[in-house]
Amino acid sequence: MKNFLTIIFRLTASCLVAGLIMGTTFVLTNKAKKANEHAREQKVVFALLGYSGGQEIPESMGMHELYRYVVTDGEGQSIGYLLPVGEHGQDGGFSFVRIGLDGSFLNQTSVPVSEENVRDQGERDKAIQAALGGDKTIRFTDQTIVVTDHGQRTAYLLSGKFPGFKTNIAIILALDPEYSVIGLEVMEHEEDPGLGAEIEQDYFKNQFKYKPFEKIKSIEVAKKPMPDEYFAALEGNVDEAAADDIMQQYRDQDIYALTGATISSVAVSSGVKGMTRKFAYRLDLLDNVLEQQQIAVPF
Amino acid sequence: MSNDKTSLQLVTNGILKENPIFKLALSMCPAVGISTTVMNGIMLGLAVLFVQVFSSVTISLIKDFIHPRIRIPTYTLTIATWVTVIDLTLAAFFPVAYAKMGIFVKIIVAFAIITMRLEMFACKETVSDSFWDGIGMGMGFLLGMVTIGFVRELLGSGAIMGYDVLGFKPLLFFILPSAGFFVVGLMMGFFNWIETRYAQRKRGNA
Repeated sequence: MKNFLTIIFRLTASCLVAGLIMGTTFVLTNKAKKANEHAREQKVVFALLGYSGGQEIPESMGMHELYRYVVTDGEGQSIGYLLPVGEHGQDGGFSFVRIGLDGSFLNQTSVPVSEENVRDQGERDKAIQAALGGDKTIRFTDQTIVVTDHGQRTAYLLSGKFPGFKTNIAIILALDPEYSVIGLEVMEHEEDPGLGAEIEQDYFKNQFKYKPFEKIKSIEVAKKPMPDEYFAALEGNVDEAAADDIMQQYRDQDIYALTGATISSVAVSSGVKGMTRKFAYRLDLLDNVLEQQQIAVPF
Repeated sequence: MSNDKTSLQLVTNGILKENPIFKLALSMCPAVGISTTVMNGIMLGLAVLFVQVFSSVTISLIKDFIHPRIRIPTYTLTIATWVTVIDLTLAAFFPVAYAKMGIFVKIIVAFAIITMRLEMFACKETVSDSFWDGIGMGMGFLLGMVTIGFVRELLGSGAIMGYDVLGFKPLLFFILPSAGFFVVGLMMGFFNWIETRYAQRKRGNA
Protein backbone atom coordinates (compact mmCIF):
# COMPACT_ATOMS: atom_id res chain seq x y z
CA MET A 1 0.00 0.00 0.00
CA LYS A 2 2.79 2.35 0.90
CA ASN A 3 4.40 1.55 -2.42
CA PHE A 4 1.23 2.50 -4.21
CA LEU A 5 1.10 5.86 -2.56
CA THR A 6 4.74 6.68 -3.34
CA ILE A 7 4.22 5.68 -6.96
CA ILE A 8 1.10 7.79 -7.27
CA PHE A 9 2.80 10.69 -5.56
CA ARG A 10 5.96 10.54 -7.66
CA LEU A 11 4.13 10.10 -10.93
CA THR A 12 1.94 13.10 -10.16
CA ALA A 13 4.95 15.13 -9.12
CA SER A 14 6.92 14.33 -12.28
CA CYS A 15 3.90 15.08 -14.45
CA LEU A 16 3.49 18.42 -12.71
CA VAL A 17 7.16 19.28 -13.17
CA ALA A 18 7.04 18.29 -16.83
CA GLY A 19 3.85 20.26 -17.30
CA LEU A 20 5.40 23.27 -15.65
CA ILE A 21 8.46 23.15 -17.91
CA MET A 22 6.37 22.74 -21.05
CA GLY A 23 3.97 25.45 -19.94
CA THR A 24 6.76 27.91 -19.23
CA THR A 25 8.36 27.24 -22.60
CA PHE A 26 5.01 27.72 -24.29
CA VAL A 27 4.43 31.05 -22.56
CA LEU A 28 7.95 32.22 -23.35
CA THR A 29 7.89 31.24 -27.00
CA ASN A 30 4.27 31.69 -28.00
CA LYS A 31 4.50 35.34 -28.95
CA ALA A 32 7.56 34.87 -31.15
CA LYS A 33 5.95 31.80 -32.71
CA LYS A 34 2.76 33.71 -33.55
CA ALA A 35 4.81 36.55 -35.03
CA ASN A 36 6.77 34.08 -37.15
CA GLU A 37 3.60 32.44 -38.35
CA HIS A 38 2.02 35.76 -39.25
CA ALA A 39 5.15 36.87 -41.11
CA ARG A 40 5.19 33.58 -43.00
CA GLU A 41 1.51 33.88 -43.83
CA GLN A 42 2.03 37.38 -45.20
CA LYS A 43 4.95 36.20 -47.29
CA VAL A 44 2.95 33.25 -48.63
CA VAL A 45 -0.01 35.46 -49.45
CA PHE A 46 2.11 37.91 -51.44
CA ALA A 47 3.97 35.07 -53.15
CA LEU A 48 0.66 33.53 -54.21
CA LEU A 49 -0.42 36.88 -55.65
CA GLY A 50 2.81 37.04 -57.61
CA TYR A 51 4.80 39.49 -55.48
CA SER A 52 7.69 37.37 -54.30
CA GLY A 53 11.28 38.35 -53.64
CA GLY A 54 10.87 41.93 -52.42
CA GLN A 55 8.77 43.14 -55.34
CA GLU A 56 6.97 46.40 -54.72
CA ILE A 57 3.31 45.97 -53.77
CA PRO A 58 1.21 48.52 -55.66
CA GLU A 59 -0.64 51.03 -53.50
CA SER A 60 -3.86 50.57 -55.37
CA MET A 61 -4.05 47.01 -54.07
CA GLY A 62 -6.40 46.53 -51.17
CA MET A 63 -7.00 43.54 -48.96
CA HIS A 64 -10.39 43.20 -47.32
CA GLU A 65 -10.98 40.53 -44.75
CA LEU A 66 -14.25 38.67 -44.45
CA TYR A 67 -14.93 36.62 -41.35
CA ARG A 68 -17.63 33.99 -41.48
CA TYR A 69 -19.53 32.98 -38.36
CA VAL A 70 -22.27 30.52 -37.55
CA VAL A 71 -24.89 32.25 -35.40
CA THR A 72 -27.18 30.17 -33.20
CA ASP A 73 -30.20 31.66 -31.49
CA GLY A 74 -33.42 30.24 -30.08
CA GLU A 75 -35.00 29.08 -33.35
CA GLY A 76 -32.06 27.94 -35.38
CA GLN A 77 -28.90 28.76 -37.15
CA SER A 78 -27.88 31.44 -39.57
CA ILE A 79 -24.65 32.56 -41.17
CA GLY A 80 -23.03 35.85 -40.29
CA TYR A 81 -20.30 37.75 -42.11
CA LEU A 82 -18.19 40.40 -40.49
CA LEU A 83 -17.13 42.68 -43.32
CA PRO A 84 -15.82 46.18 -43.88
CA VAL A 85 -18.46 48.57 -45.26
CA GLY A 86 -18.33 51.86 -47.11
CA GLU A 87 -17.49 52.76 -50.70
CA HIS A 88 -14.03 52.06 -52.08
CA GLY A 89 -11.50 54.39 -50.50
CA GLN A 90 -13.53 55.45 -47.49
CA ASP A 91 -13.55 53.83 -44.08
CA GLY A 92 -17.00 52.89 -42.93
CA GLY A 93 -16.09 50.57 -40.10
CA PHE A 94 -17.27 46.98 -39.85
CA SER A 95 -20.72 45.46 -40.13
CA PHE A 96 -22.09 42.06 -39.23
CA VAL A 97 -24.46 40.85 -41.93
CA ARG A 98 -26.65 37.88 -41.10
CA ILE A 99 -27.98 35.60 -43.79
CA GLY A 100 -30.45 32.76 -43.33
CA LEU A 101 -29.55 29.25 -44.42
CA ASP A 102 -31.76 29.70 -47.49
CA GLY A 103 -29.82 32.77 -48.58
CA SER A 104 -32.32 35.41 -47.43
CA PHE A 105 -31.18 38.59 -45.72
CA LEU A 106 -31.89 38.73 -41.98
CA ASN A 107 -30.31 41.86 -40.58
CA GLN A 108 -27.25 44.08 -40.47
CA THR A 109 -25.58 45.25 -37.29
CA SER A 110 -22.72 47.66 -37.18
CA VAL A 111 -19.80 46.41 -35.07
CA PRO A 112 -17.50 48.98 -33.48
CA VAL A 113 -14.07 47.32 -33.76
CA SER A 114 -10.75 48.75 -34.84
CA GLU A 115 -8.64 47.59 -37.78
CA GLU A 116 -6.01 46.00 -35.48
CA ASN A 117 -8.40 44.34 -33.07
CA VAL A 118 -10.38 42.68 -35.83
CA ARG A 119 -7.40 40.41 -36.59
CA ASP A 120 -7.38 39.00 -33.08
CA GLN A 121 -10.02 36.33 -32.70
CA GLY A 122 -10.74 36.98 -29.03
CA GLU A 123 -11.27 40.72 -29.49
CA ARG A 124 -13.32 40.19 -32.63
CA ASP A 125 -15.64 37.65 -31.02
CA LYS A 126 -16.18 39.94 -28.07
CA ALA A 127 -17.06 42.92 -30.26
CA ILE A 128 -19.54 40.92 -32.37
CA GLN A 129 -21.14 39.34 -29.32
CA ALA A 130 -21.57 42.79 -27.74
CA ALA A 131 -23.15 44.17 -30.91
CA LEU A 132 -25.53 41.22 -31.33
CA GLY A 133 -26.74 40.99 -27.77
CA GLY A 134 -26.65 38.11 -25.35
CA ASP A 135 -29.31 35.73 -26.72
CA LYS A 136 -27.21 34.55 -29.68
CA THR A 137 -24.06 32.43 -29.69
CA ILE A 138 -21.50 32.83 -32.42
CA ARG A 139 -18.85 30.45 -33.67
CA PHE A 140 -16.01 31.52 -35.96
CA THR A 141 -15.62 29.23 -38.97
CA ASP A 142 -13.25 30.74 -41.50
CA GLN A 143 -11.87 33.87 -43.02
CA THR A 144 -11.40 35.04 -46.57
CA ILE A 145 -9.38 37.92 -47.93
CA VAL A 146 -10.74 39.69 -50.98
CA VAL A 147 -7.91 41.32 -52.90
CA THR A 148 -8.80 44.36 -54.97
CA ASP A 149 -6.95 46.60 -57.37
CA HIS A 150 -8.49 50.07 -57.91
CA GLY A 151 -11.66 48.74 -56.34
CA GLN A 152 -11.89 45.78 -58.75
CA ARG A 153 -11.68 42.29 -57.36
CA THR A 154 -8.53 40.51 -58.48
CA ALA A 155 -8.31 37.50 -56.20
CA TYR A 156 -9.72 35.67 -53.21
CA LEU A 157 -7.50 34.19 -50.53
CA LEU A 158 -9.06 31.34 -48.61
CA SER A 159 -7.56 29.72 -45.58
CA GLY A 160 -8.89 26.29 -44.81
CA LYS A 161 -8.28 23.10 -42.92
CA PHE A 162 -9.25 19.54 -43.74
CA PRO A 163 -8.27 16.11 -42.42
CA GLY A 164 -5.18 14.58 -43.99
CA PHE A 165 -3.70 11.13 -43.43
CA LYS A 166 -2.71 11.95 -39.85
CA THR A 167 -3.85 15.33 -38.58
CA ASN A 168 -5.42 18.32 -40.24
CA ILE A 169 -3.79 19.92 -43.24
CA ALA A 170 -4.02 23.72 -43.31
CA ILE A 171 -3.70 25.48 -46.64
CA ILE A 172 -4.06 28.93 -48.16
CA LEU A 173 -5.77 28.85 -51.52
CA ALA A 174 -5.75 31.75 -53.97
CA LEU A 175 -8.63 31.96 -56.46
CA ASP A 176 -9.26 34.47 -59.22
CA PRO A 177 -12.68 36.20 -59.58
CA GLU A 178 -13.89 33.30 -61.77
CA TYR A 179 -12.91 30.87 -59.00
CA SER A 180 -10.06 29.33 -60.99
CA VAL A 181 -7.08 28.39 -58.87
CA ILE A 182 -4.19 30.87 -58.86
CA GLY A 183 -2.13 28.78 -56.48
CA LEU A 184 -2.06 27.08 -53.14
CA GLU A 185 0.37 26.79 -50.29
CA VAL A 186 0.44 24.17 -47.54
CA MET A 187 0.80 25.97 -44.23
CA GLU A 188 0.65 23.19 -41.70
CA HIS A 189 0.57 19.42 -41.82
CA GLU A 190 1.97 16.37 -40.09
CA GLU A 191 2.06 13.90 -42.95
CA ASP A 192 4.86 11.33 -43.10
CA PRO A 193 8.17 12.78 -44.24
CA GLY A 194 9.14 11.43 -47.64
CA LEU A 195 5.62 10.26 -48.41
CA GLY A 196 2.62 12.43 -47.56
CA ALA A 197 4.84 15.38 -46.72
CA GLU A 198 5.54 15.68 -50.44
CA ILE A 199 2.24 17.58 -50.73
CA GLU A 200 4.24 20.72 -50.03
CA GLN A 201 6.54 20.10 -52.99
CA ASP A 202 6.10 22.19 -56.12
CA TYR A 203 5.47 19.20 -58.36
CA PHE A 204 2.39 18.32 -56.35
CA LYS A 205 0.84 21.63 -55.34
CA ASN A 206 1.52 23.42 -58.63
CA GLN A 207 -0.70 20.85 -60.35
CA PHE A 208 -3.67 22.83 -59.06
CA LYS A 209 -2.38 26.04 -60.62
CA TYR A 210 -4.62 27.59 -63.30
CA LYS A 211 -7.11 24.76 -63.14
CA PRO A 212 -10.47 26.29 -64.15
CA PHE A 213 -13.42 26.22 -61.75
CA GLU A 214 -15.29 23.80 -64.02
CA LYS A 215 -12.48 21.26 -63.57
CA ILE A 216 -11.90 21.89 -59.89
CA LYS A 217 -15.57 21.19 -59.21
CA SER A 218 -15.14 17.55 -60.14
CA ILE A 219 -11.42 17.00 -59.71
CA GLU A 220 -10.18 13.48 -58.97
CA VAL A 221 -6.83 11.88 -58.24
CA ALA A 222 -5.21 9.68 -60.87
CA LYS A 223 -2.94 6.87 -59.75
CA LYS A 224 -0.47 6.82 -62.59
CA PRO A 225 3.11 8.01 -62.99
CA MET A 226 3.52 11.68 -63.81
CA PRO A 227 5.00 12.37 -67.26
CA ASP A 228 8.54 13.73 -67.06
CA GLU A 229 7.85 16.92 -69.03
CA TYR A 230 4.97 17.82 -66.71
CA PHE A 231 7.18 17.20 -63.68
CA ALA A 232 9.87 19.50 -65.08
CA ALA A 233 7.34 22.22 -65.81
CA LEU A 234 5.82 22.00 -62.33
CA GLU A 235 9.20 22.16 -60.67
CA GLY A 236 10.16 25.17 -62.77
CA ASN A 237 13.07 23.36 -64.47
CA VAL A 238 12.16 24.60 -67.93
CA ASP A 239 11.83 28.20 -69.10
CA GLU A 240 8.57 30.03 -68.55
CA ALA A 241 7.12 29.97 -72.04
CA ALA A 242 7.67 26.22 -72.39
CA ALA A 243 6.34 25.61 -68.90
CA ASP A 244 3.16 27.56 -69.72
CA ASP A 245 2.65 25.43 -72.83
CA ILE A 246 3.00 22.20 -70.91
CA MET A 247 0.80 23.40 -68.06
CA GLN A 248 -1.84 24.33 -70.65
CA GLN A 249 -1.86 20.74 -71.96
CA TYR A 250 -2.53 19.29 -68.53
CA ARG A 251 -4.99 21.96 -67.44
CA ASP A 252 -8.03 19.71 -67.74
CA GLN A 253 -6.35 16.59 -66.37
CA ASP A 254 -6.86 15.12 -62.94
CA ILE A 255 -4.27 15.44 -60.18
CA TYR A 256 -1.44 12.89 -60.30
CA ALA A 257 -1.23 11.13 -56.92
CA LEU A 258 2.00 11.10 -54.94
CA THR A 259 3.80 7.78 -54.97
CA GLY A 260 2.96 5.92 -51.76
CA ALA A 261 0.73 8.69 -50.45
CA THR A 262 -2.59 8.37 -52.23
CA ILE A 263 -4.56 9.25 -49.11
CA SER A 264 -2.71 12.53 -48.62
CA SER A 265 -3.10 13.36 -52.30
CA VAL A 266 -6.82 12.65 -52.23
CA ALA A 267 -7.17 14.64 -49.01
CA VAL A 268 -5.63 17.74 -50.57
CA SER A 269 -7.54 17.56 -53.83
CA SER A 270 -10.89 16.93 -52.20
CA GLY A 271 -10.06 19.65 -49.70
CA VAL A 272 -9.40 22.13 -52.49
CA LYS A 273 -12.50 20.94 -54.33
CA GLY A 274 -14.68 21.37 -51.24
CA MET A 275 -13.25 24.75 -50.32
CA THR A 276 -13.68 26.15 -53.82
CA ARG A 277 -17.20 24.85 -54.31
CA LYS A 278 -18.46 26.00 -50.96
CA PHE A 279 -16.79 29.37 -51.28
CA ALA A 280 -18.26 29.99 -54.73
CA TYR A 281 -21.73 29.11 -53.45
CA ARG A 282 -21.42 31.23 -50.33
CA LEU A 283 -19.94 34.25 -52.04
CA ASP A 284 -22.71 34.24 -54.63
CA LEU A 285 -25.28 34.28 -51.83
CA LEU A 286 -23.45 37.05 -50.02
CA ASP A 287 -23.06 39.17 -53.16
CA ASN A 288 -26.73 38.71 -53.89
CA VAL A 289 -27.72 39.93 -50.45
CA LEU A 290 -25.30 42.85 -50.53
CA GLU A 291 -26.72 43.93 -53.88
CA GLN A 292 -30.36 43.59 -52.85
CA GLN A 293 -29.90 45.46 -49.61
CA GLN A 294 -27.62 48.01 -51.26
CA ILE A 295 -24.92 47.61 -48.66
CA ALA A 296 -21.84 49.39 -49.95
CA VAL A 297 -18.62 47.44 -49.56
CA PRO A 298 -15.11 48.39 -50.64
CA PHE A 299 -14.68 45.20 -52.66
CA MET B 1 28.33 1.64 -10.98
CA SER B 2 30.69 3.25 -13.39
CA ASN B 3 32.46 2.14 -16.53
CA ASP B 4 36.08 2.67 -17.44
CA LYS B 5 35.54 3.92 -20.98
CA THR B 6 36.87 7.28 -22.10
CA SER B 7 34.53 9.81 -23.69
CA LEU B 8 35.96 9.06 -27.14
CA GLN B 9 35.34 5.36 -26.66
CA LEU B 10 31.76 6.09 -25.65
CA VAL B 11 31.19 8.09 -28.82
CA THR B 12 32.76 5.52 -31.17
CA ASN B 13 30.87 2.79 -29.33
CA GLY B 14 27.60 4.42 -30.38
CA ILE B 15 28.74 4.88 -33.95
CA LEU B 16 30.33 1.49 -34.60
CA LYS B 17 30.07 -1.23 -32.00
CA GLU B 18 26.53 -0.50 -30.86
CA ASN B 19 25.17 1.37 -33.84
CA PRO B 20 21.45 1.84 -33.10
CA ILE B 21 20.30 0.82 -36.56
CA PHE B 22 22.79 -1.81 -37.75
CA LYS B 23 23.74 -3.42 -34.44
CA LEU B 24 20.99 -2.81 -31.92
CA ALA B 25 18.26 -2.86 -34.61
CA LEU B 26 16.19 -0.31 -32.72
CA SER B 27 13.92 2.39 -34.09
CA MET B 28 13.49 0.50 -37.31
CA CYS B 29 10.20 2.21 -38.21
CA PRO B 30 11.82 5.59 -38.86
CA ALA B 31 14.87 3.95 -40.37
CA VAL B 32 12.63 2.23 -42.89
CA GLY B 33 9.91 4.82 -43.29
CA ILE B 34 11.75 8.11 -43.48
CA SER B 35 15.20 7.34 -44.85
CA THR B 36 14.15 7.89 -48.45
CA THR B 37 16.57 10.76 -49.02
CA VAL B 38 19.85 11.90 -47.51
CA MET B 39 18.26 15.17 -46.38
CA ASN B 40 15.49 13.39 -44.47
CA GLY B 41 18.15 11.26 -42.81
CA ILE B 42 20.16 14.28 -41.71
CA MET B 43 17.10 16.09 -40.34
CA LEU B 44 15.76 13.15 -38.38
CA GLY B 45 19.27 12.24 -37.22
CA LEU B 46 19.89 15.74 -35.88
CA ALA B 47 16.55 15.81 -34.11
CA VAL B 48 17.28 12.45 -32.47
CA LEU B 49 20.79 13.59 -31.52
CA PHE B 50 19.46 16.63 -29.67
CA VAL B 51 16.68 14.80 -27.86
CA GLN B 52 18.95 11.87 -26.96
CA VAL B 53 21.64 14.08 -25.44
CA PHE B 54 19.21 16.25 -23.48
CA SER B 55 17.17 13.29 -22.20
CA SER B 56 20.25 11.25 -21.26
CA VAL B 57 21.69 14.12 -19.25
CA THR B 58 18.36 14.82 -17.54
CA ILE B 59 17.78 11.20 -16.56
CA SER B 60 21.35 10.87 -15.36
CA LEU B 61 20.87 13.97 -13.19
CA ILE B 62 17.64 12.78 -11.58
CA LYS B 63 18.43 9.04 -11.52
CA ASP B 64 18.48 8.88 -7.71
CA PHE B 65 14.92 10.22 -7.48
CA ILE B 66 13.30 7.86 -9.96
CA HIS B 67 11.20 5.16 -8.36
CA PRO B 68 12.22 1.85 -10.01
CA ARG B 69 8.59 0.89 -10.62
CA ILE B 70 7.86 3.95 -12.71
CA ARG B 71 11.11 4.26 -14.69
CA ILE B 72 9.54 3.88 -18.11
CA PRO B 73 6.79 6.48 -17.60
CA THR B 74 9.41 8.86 -16.29
CA TYR B 75 11.59 8.30 -19.35
CA THR B 76 8.67 8.86 -21.69
CA LEU B 77 7.73 11.99 -19.81
CA THR B 78 11.28 13.32 -19.98
CA ILE B 79 11.53 12.65 -23.70
CA ALA B 80 8.14 14.20 -24.34
CA THR B 81 9.10 17.29 -22.37
CA TRP B 82 12.33 17.74 -24.29
CA VAL B 83 10.63 17.15 -27.62
CA THR B 84 8.04 19.80 -26.79
CA VAL B 85 10.63 22.28 -25.54
CA ILE B 86 12.84 21.81 -28.61
CA ASP B 87 9.85 21.99 -30.92
CA LEU B 88 8.54 25.23 -29.40
CA THR B 89 11.98 26.86 -29.22
CA LEU B 90 12.74 26.03 -32.84
CA ALA B 91 9.36 27.36 -33.93
CA ALA B 92 9.85 30.61 -32.03
CA PHE B 93 13.48 31.49 -32.62
CA PHE B 94 14.68 29.47 -35.63
CA PRO B 95 11.78 29.60 -38.09
CA VAL B 96 13.97 28.66 -41.05
CA ALA B 97 15.27 25.50 -39.39
CA TYR B 98 11.83 24.74 -38.04
CA ALA B 99 10.29 24.82 -41.48
CA LYS B 100 12.56 21.89 -42.40
CA MET B 101 12.92 20.03 -39.11
CA GLY B 102 9.54 20.64 -37.48
CA ILE B 103 7.77 17.45 -38.45
CA PHE B 104 10.81 15.33 -37.65
CA VAL B 105 11.11 16.62 -34.10
CA LYS B 106 7.47 15.86 -33.32
CA ILE B 107 7.59 12.20 -34.25
CA ILE B 108 10.48 11.13 -32.04
CA VAL B 109 8.60 10.96 -28.74
CA ALA B 110 8.11 7.24 -29.14
CA PHE B 111 11.52 6.26 -30.49
CA ALA B 112 12.73 3.01 -28.97
CA ILE B 113 16.39 3.96 -29.20
CA ILE B 114 16.06 6.92 -26.82
CA THR B 115 14.07 5.07 -24.16
CA MET B 116 16.40 2.08 -24.43
CA ARG B 117 19.50 4.21 -23.98
CA LEU B 118 18.02 5.86 -20.90
CA GLU B 119 17.22 2.45 -19.43
CA MET B 120 20.53 0.78 -20.31
CA PHE B 121 22.92 3.61 -19.72
CA ALA B 122 21.80 6.98 -18.41
CA CYS B 123 20.01 5.67 -15.33
CA LYS B 124 23.20 3.99 -14.10
CA GLU B 125 26.10 6.15 -15.22
CA THR B 126 27.48 9.59 -14.47
CA VAL B 127 26.24 12.73 -16.16
CA SER B 128 29.30 13.25 -18.36
CA ASP B 129 29.36 9.62 -19.47
CA SER B 130 25.67 9.85 -20.31
CA PHE B 131 26.32 12.99 -22.30
CA TRP B 132 29.01 11.31 -24.41
CA ASP B 133 26.90 8.18 -24.80
CA GLY B 134 24.02 10.36 -25.99
CA ILE B 135 26.30 12.02 -28.54
CA GLY B 136 27.58 8.65 -29.71
CA MET B 137 24.12 7.13 -30.08
CA GLY B 138 22.78 10.21 -31.81
CA MET B 139 25.73 10.25 -34.21
CA GLY B 140 25.37 6.53 -34.84
CA PHE B 141 21.71 6.99 -35.69
CA LEU B 142 22.47 10.02 -37.84
CA LEU B 143 25.18 8.23 -39.81
CA GLY B 144 23.04 5.12 -40.19
CA MET B 145 20.12 7.15 -41.52
CA VAL B 146 22.37 9.07 -43.92
CA THR B 147 23.91 5.85 -45.27
CA ILE B 148 20.53 4.23 -45.85
CA GLY B 149 19.17 7.47 -47.26
CA PHE B 150 22.13 7.69 -49.64
CA VAL B 151 21.56 4.21 -51.05
CA ARG B 152 17.80 4.62 -51.33
CA GLU B 153 17.92 8.09 -52.84
CA LEU B 154 20.58 7.10 -55.35
CA LEU B 155 18.82 3.92 -56.43
CA GLY B 156 15.27 5.17 -56.03
CA SER B 157 15.32 8.64 -57.50
CA GLY B 158 18.79 8.79 -59.05
CA ALA B 159 19.77 11.80 -56.99
CA ILE B 160 21.92 12.77 -54.01
CA MET B 161 20.78 15.55 -51.68
CA GLY B 162 18.13 16.43 -54.21
CA TYR B 163 20.62 16.92 -57.05
CA ASP B 164 20.08 14.66 -60.00
CA VAL B 165 23.30 12.71 -60.53
CA LEU B 166 22.27 9.70 -62.59
CA GLY B 167 19.80 11.43 -64.88
CA PHE B 168 17.32 8.57 -64.61
CA LYS B 169 15.48 6.67 -61.91
CA PRO B 170 16.91 3.14 -61.67
CA LEU B 171 14.39 1.53 -59.30
CA LEU B 172 11.41 3.48 -58.02
CA PHE B 173 10.84 0.54 -55.68
CA PHE B 174 13.62 1.79 -53.39
CA ILE B 175 11.63 4.82 -52.28
CA LEU B 176 8.74 2.69 -51.05
CA PRO B 177 8.74 1.67 -47.38
CA SER B 178 9.07 -2.04 -48.08
CA ALA B 179 12.40 -1.50 -49.82
CA GLY B 180 13.69 0.04 -46.62
CA PHE B 181 13.70 -3.42 -45.06
CA PHE B 182 15.85 -4.80 -47.86
CA VAL B 183 18.33 -1.96 -47.69
CA VAL B 184 18.59 -2.07 -43.89
CA GLY B 185 18.88 -5.86 -43.89
CA LEU B 186 21.52 -5.99 -46.59
CA MET B 187 23.56 -3.24 -44.99
CA MET B 188 23.28 -4.88 -41.61
CA GLY B 189 24.65 -8.08 -43.13
CA PHE B 190 27.38 -6.15 -44.94
CA PHE B 191 28.59 -4.43 -41.78
CA ASN B 192 28.52 -7.64 -39.80
CA TRP B 193 30.50 -9.37 -42.55
CA ILE B 194 33.16 -6.64 -42.44
CA GLU B 195 33.35 -6.92 -38.69
CA THR B 196 33.72 -10.70 -38.78
CA ARG B 197 36.47 -10.48 -41.40
CA TYR B 198 38.21 -7.82 -39.37
CA ALA B 199 38.04 -9.91 -36.20
CA GLN B 200 39.33 -12.98 -38.08
CA ARG B 201 42.30 -11.12 -39.47
CA LYS B 202 43.09 -9.73 -36.06
CA ARG B 203 43.01 -13.19 -34.61
CA GLY B 204 45.17 -14.48 -37.46
CA ASN B 205 47.81 -11.83 -36.79
CA ALA B 206 47.92 -12.44 -33.10
